[in-house]
Parts: sequence; C-alpha cells; structure tokens
Amino acid sequence: MNIEYEMIQSNKSWQSEFLQGVKDATPLLLAVAPYGIVLGAQANQANVSLIEITLMTALNFAGGSEFAAIQLWHSPLPTLTIILITFLINSRHLIMGAAITPYIQHLPKRKIIPALFFMADEGWAVSYRQALKQASKKTPERNLNLSYFLGACFPFYPVWVGAAFLGYIIGPLLGDIEKYGFAIAFPAVFLVLLRGMWKSSQSAKPWIISLIVSSIGYLVFPGHYYVLAGTFSGLITAWIFGKEND
Amino acid sequence: MISSTALLTILGMAIVTYLTRLLGFLLLRNRILSPRTKSVLECAPGCVIISVIAPYYVSSQPEIVIAMLIATICALRLSMLPTLIISVISLGIIQKLFN
Repeated sequence: MNIEYEMIQSNKSWQSEFLQGVKDATPLLLAVAPYGIVLGAQANQANVSLIEITLMTALNFAGGSEFAAIQLWHSPLPTLTIILITFLINSRHLIMGAAITPYIQHLPKRKIIPALFFMADEGWAVSYRQALKQASKKTPERNLNLSYFLGACFPFYPVWVGAAFLGYIIGPLLGDIEKYGFAIAFPAVFLVLLRGMWKSSQSAKPWIISLIVSSIGYLVFPGHYYVLAGTFSGLITAWIFGKEND
Repeated sequence: MISSTALLTILGMAIVTYLTRLLGFLLLRNRILSPRTKSVLECAPGCVIISVIAPYYVSSQPEIVIAMLIATICALRLSMLPTLIISVISLGIIQKLFN
C-alpha cells in the first residue's frame, strides 16, 4: 500500500518536474524553431541531401556546428576539417558541462551520461538557471532533478530535427526567412538567461572582457574562433580576480 | 541516398560533439573544487553566452545593432516572453524602415 502510494507520488513529481522544465524552455523552443528552418533551407541550397541533414541534426544535435558544416559541404567532402571545426565550435560544451557538474553529480552515472547527449546551449541555460535558483533552498548537492533537466533539454531535439526537415521542404517557398525579425530572438532569449545568472558583481569583469574580446575576435578573425577567444579571456580574468580562499 | 564519406563525416561530428558534452562532467565529477576554481566555474556560463551573442552588438547591419540594444534594455527589466516579443517586433519594424 505504502510503497505503491509512494511510487505514485514520485511518479507525479517526476512528471511535474519534467513539465516545469518543458514550460521554462518553451520561449526558447519558439526562438530555436526558426533557426532550424533556416538551417534546413540553407542545407537545401547547399546541395546537402535531405537524409544527410536529417542524420546530422539527429546524431550531432548542435546547431552552430551544423551551420558551419553545410557551408563546407563541397565535393570532395573535407571530412577532417568539418570534424575539427565541429569540435572547436562545440568545445563550449566542456565548460557548460563543468559548470553544471556540481548540481548533477548526485545523479547515477548510467542516467546522466545518456541525458547529457541532449545538453544543448538552450536546455543547459534553462537547467543551470534552475540549479542556481534551487541552490539557495536545498543543499547544493541535490538541487537539479534529472526530470527537470530532461524536461528543459529534450524538447529541443524533436523541434530542431523537425524544423530542419521542414525548412528543407518549405525553404524554397519562403525566400529569406530572416526578414521577419526572428534573427534577434536567439540573442534576446540569451540576454534574459544571462540576467538570471547574475549573482554578484564578481562576474562583471570577466563578462565585460568576454564581450570585448569576442566582439573584436568576431570582427578580426574568420570563422567561429571568437567564441573560444571570448570565453577563455573571460575565464582567465575570473581566475586572476578569483578568491584564493573562502 | 548517402555516400560513405558523408556518413563518415556525420558520424565523426556526432562523436566529437557527444564527447564535448561528456568530458566536462566526467573530468570534474567527484572533485573538491578550490574557491578560485568555483568562482571561475560560476562566471563561466555567462562568459560562454556573452561570447556567443557578442557579434550581434558589432553586426555590420545597423538594424541588428539597434534591435540588440532594445533587447538588452528589455532583458534587464522584463521576463522572457515580453522580451522576446518586443525584440522580434522591433527588428521587424526597423527592417521595414531601413529597406
């Protein structure tokens, strides 16, 4: 009796945590869908086949690297270059994973390792914000539910793969989708998430350095190196000004 | 259909991307972090996000830069959905005005 009751209870909270994650991710899902459509439309123009773009979005599931890959999709295919660029663009996941680790390491490894496949920028940002929010309430080791994490991360998967598929089919009909003002949706959402991450003025110096270095890097260097340059100069700044002791 | 080179390229992308997602977690798990390392990790997510969106502030299209400033002001004061709606509509209007 009791066990059954507890199972129903924990099932319920699993569901409600998952749905809360989905709910918190919804504005970003709306922001991401147009990007998926643009990716599909561009893939079509770049002579990437429908099966190629679908496999790519389904197995790789990291937008920035997919935009880069289809730019390089010429015959003969520069396989190693595409893989290297994919790694460089997605290397920000290393830092994202490291940052969220204190909040998920209480979870069993066999569950968290497959779940991490779905950690993209948006779902991670939503989860990280939730972790910070809960950190003030519970003990820091137990403050991110796997169900919330999956609720915040997983919905991007069908939306991304589906939007790219749709974009590939309808792309030729739409013309230039960026003319509708959606180009700003992505940074606007990230700005709101950023505000949620503001904990103390300790972040100010590293963030400003990241902004300056990334902007200059974007203007001066070709490709996506500005992301790495901006991130690492911010991290180095944080290291220099960081507390030596508690 | 799909060529074996294309399949290999996509599989290679998939493997390195999944590795980037796993490694941050696997390397830091079960470590006790120094306060300095903690303060670096705390501001790291913001550094990544700022670096990803920085190009919008220095875009060669003035309408993007203006919309970005509007979005920044909204984000400081409003929640997610109003920020998103105001930003997208602003850019739509500004683009109409510029063209």
